[in-house]
Amino acid sequence: MIKTILKYCGLFFSFFKASLISELEYRFNIGARIVTDILWYVAQLSVFEVLFRHTTSLNGWSLVETRVFMGCLFVTDAIFMMLFSENLDRMGEKIRKGDLDLLLVKPINSQWMLSFQKVSVAYLGNLCIALCWLTWALTKINEFNWLNVGWLLITIPIGLVITYSIRFMVASMALFYTRADAVTYIWYQLYRLGTRPDNLYPAFLRYAVLSVLPVAFLASVPAQILLGKTGPEWLIWGFFVAGVSLSFSTLVWNRGLKVYSSVSS
Amino acid sequence: MLACARLAALQQLEYRFNLIADTLIQPFIVSLIEMTIWIAFFASSGQTSLAGFDRSHYLAYALWAGFISRVSTSWMYESMMIDDVESGTINSVLVRPISFFEYYLGQLMGYKVLTTSISLIAPIVVCLFLDLPVQLSRLPLALVLVFYYLVLVHILSIVIASLGFFFTRVHHLTVAKNITLWMLTGEFFPLDIAPEPFKSILIALPFSSAVFRPIGYMTGRLPVEEIFFGFISVTCGIAVLGPISILMWNAGRRRYSGTGA
Repeated sequence: MIKTILKYCGLFFSFFKASLISELEYRFNIGARIVTDILWYVAQLSVFEVLFRHTTSLNGWSLVETRVFMGCLFVTDAIFMMLFSENLDRMGEKIRKGDLDLLLVKPINSQWMLSFQKVSVAYLGNLCIALCWLTWALTKINEFNWLNVGWLLITIPIGLVITYSIRFMVASMALFYTRADAVTYIWYQLYRLGTRPDNLYPAFLRYAVLSVLPVAFLASVPAQILLGKTGPEWLIWGFFVAGVSLSFSTLVWNRGLKVYSSVSS
Repeated sequence: MLACARLAALQQLEYRFNLIADTLIQPFIVSLIEMTIWIAFFASSGQTSLAGFDRSHYLAYALWAGFISRVSTSWMYESMMIDDVESGTINSVLVRPISFFEYYLGQLMGYKVLTTSISLIAPIVVCLFLDLPVQLSRLPLALVLVFYYLVLVHILSIVIASLGFFFTRVHHLTVAKNITLWMLTGEFFPLDIAPEPFKSILIALPFSSAVFRPIGYMTGRLPVEEIFFGFISVTCGIAVLGPISILMWNAGRRRYSGTGA
């Protein structure tokens, strides 16, 4: 077991090194990626900064709390973009063009290989910016219990596992339907549901983002636990949802591989 | 150009599920998310109006913004233009008896006419069903402004594709540009509720003609004069960016060796 874990850690390090070398070849692209994400942060923040000029509370969220929520979102998003985004974005193309064959013959778990093959190193810069924003936002909270920051070490990985699993399932649709671009585009919109605190949504949508489409674990639940707006009992539900999502993604992948017929599946 | 427009429409009709997702499902989800924010805003702020307009006006704005912003952006064709430059497939366009600009402008317009005609059914039905304050008689003029604005968007795409000749990988610039336009067009919120001096600057820029001006006009927020000012503003944008795009394109082509940038 330990030997296997070490083997995968070594592989991940190799992927990281290869990605870094490859990205340094196009330095302009690295700068563009960082700037793009900063613009995305500004776009997300502008909505709430403008709204809170006309009100002091949005369904129980104040401006300073919303900034913390945004900080959690930026941190989780930066890690997701760094580890998974590029790999999963290209998955459909790999399946369609038959490049998947090369991965399937390797003596390693194909789902793991597809998910971690490329590390977008540029997003390390964004992660630093996101962490700075989150820290600044937390300093603005009156009498904030800094020990609560420890919960992020559990809630953010839960959010990442859930988001990864759903995104992986969406990308795996390419195994069943040759072109699944539309499903991917719908995923990007559903992901947007996770970019707002779940309390803002009407009841039916709130249940949806906490259960069947659990994107609320991306930032909303971590931020609420961090701010003490909800108890850590949500973690139990989070662990359960993360476990189910990950198992389901593996199930969908294995089912998909059975119908995969190499080039132009 | 008409043949290019027809080609684009036919290509889209080939993958109907993609078309439905692109024209109806995606903008509907965007509108739904933005509408929930306004519902929460009016429920928790205790206010009945903001900047002189009530909740129904903001719901109508959020609903239409999701759909109109899809019409007034160019993701797909800009990516195709960048790919052409990066991979060298631009050669096949350059040898045709039509310019690169016209070839893709024709396709963009054909695609947008098709998607607009399908996509706008949804907000019209929802507005009638929820009795939201939208003057549908104003829709045609608003759409003319949006389609005129698309020419400016296409010129911006040419500028970004031209950068591909110099930097090879410029896909992220498309994302950066479109995210910037989200903020400048008024997709997230009506620009007139932004604080000064941002409000005046954002409204004066031609990008407000993508979402804020047409929807503001349709929802009774703006008078017809603002639409005409929108045409002038977009024309100024084209006058500034047009020559820049020509210069950059020509400079890029001189660097290009025919085997991909």
